[in-house]
Amino acid sequence: MNLQELNPSVKAITLIVAVFLLAFVFDPITPLLFSLGIITITFLFGHVSFKRWALYFIPFFIIAFGFFWTTLVFSDSSNHSGRLIEAGFLTFPLEGFQVAVSLALRVLGFALLSLLFILTTNKTDFLLSLMQQLKLSPKIAYGVLAGYRFLPLMLTELKTIRMAHRIRGVHRGRGISGRVRELKRYVIPLLASAIRKAERTAVAMESKGFTGSRQRTFYRTMNVSYKDWVFLGMVLALYGISVYASVSWGYFEWYNGQL
Amino acid sequence: MNNWKMREIVVMSVLSVVFAVVYLAFLPVGKLLVGFFGPIGYDLIFGIWFIVSIIAAYIIRKPGAAFLSETIAAIIEVMLGNAVGPMLIVSGMIQGLGAEAVFATTRYRLYNVWVLMGAGMGSALFSFVWGYFISGYAALATSYVTAMFIARMVSGAVIAGLLGKALSDALAKTGVLYNFALGKEHRRNKHGAA
Repeated sequence: MNLQELNPSVKAITLIVAVFLLAFVFDPITPLLFSLGIITITFLFGHVSFKRWALYFIPFFIIAFGFFWTTLVFSDSSNHSGRLIEAGFLTFPLEGFQVAVSLALRVLGFALLSLLFILTTNKTDFLLSLMQQLKLSPKIAYGVLAGYRFLPLMLTELKTIRMAHRIRGVHRGRGISGRVRELKRYVIPLLASAIRKAERTAVAMESKGFTGSRQRTFYRTMNVSYKDWVFLGMVLALYGISVYASVSWGYFEWYNGQL
Repeated sequence: MNNWKMREIVVMSVLSVVFAVVYLAFLPVGKLLVGFFGPIGYDLIFGIWFIVSIIAAYIIRKPGAAFLSETIAAIIEVMLGNAVGPMLIVSGMIQGLGAEAVFATTRYRLYNVWVLMGAGMGSALFSFVWGYFISGYAALATSYVTAMFIARMVSGAVIAGLLGKALSDALAKTGVLYNFALGKEHRRNKHGAA
């Protein structure tokens, strides 16, 4: 199996289901095992470059750390048993510590699922599949594709505006407040020209016969095959195994109406 | 979707594209703040992530503008391939629904500063309930969660509502919104004053 060949919509839905399932778990073992499984799937079936993956993944440790320490300090203390964990001269309630590790691992688990998707999915395929499988309106889908193509144009536009300012003696801002003022000078002209281009594009699309009707044909059709269901089954099985292991080791904790 | 003109759809998409880039640019800022302050770090600047709903709805003034623009921005963020996955589309839809609900209660007729701030707060409310579930805020102390909630509501009202309105009005002054509801309103006001 190759993750690149899967249908983007089914892949996305599978990962969203996995996120939902993870959100109900409050123990550290389940997200840990699940994350390790997702890493395995990513590299076994994904043909993903490790360097690129690591570059995207590392920043999430900062968020995970933020979640870890706040949960530790501000944890909900109503259902604590009084057992403590000692770390040097600090002591924490055991339950608080476990929940903190769990929430931090959950953040990393979400990140791993996202990476699995974005590193193995072609952008245009994703949009085509949203249109063909999930019935996104072609009007919107082609509007989005057109808008997406504007990005490099807008970069050129930004350079032009910057040069135009400079040649008239307006220089780059210094410090943070200077940068903010510089940004203010660019935002409105950039948006205004983007809107003008968008209007012209819309007129061009209509004049070439684009009606946005749903009864249209596609040059490239996206299909759903048995592989997509194998992938869904694999992710669900991984979740089942993680939960089972956590239960049998006595760590498992499900969301039980904590408010 | 049928009473939308093609130009409105493409302009909405382009606005979503621009703000998807802005949204992504603010993610590292949010991450850094979360590293320092914990999850509340996001809440301080959360309003920036609702801004396209307010701008698109204020400019186009049709049912669905707030919801669709936020959803499209989320799709673009995923397409740009930064490390935010398909889950973000669900979050975007929920945020968009929050703003859309506020505009719907005015029957898409009223677009003054209070409604726009209310729409920002609507997004804040919806996204908070969602975040409460998905990020496990249930495990945090009530006082901390309350502080997060207040920070997000203020951020939604100020950054999304006020900044969104200011940006749209500045755009209308340039005349590019000639064919859109907001541009028409500006022209009316100008003639009325003269």
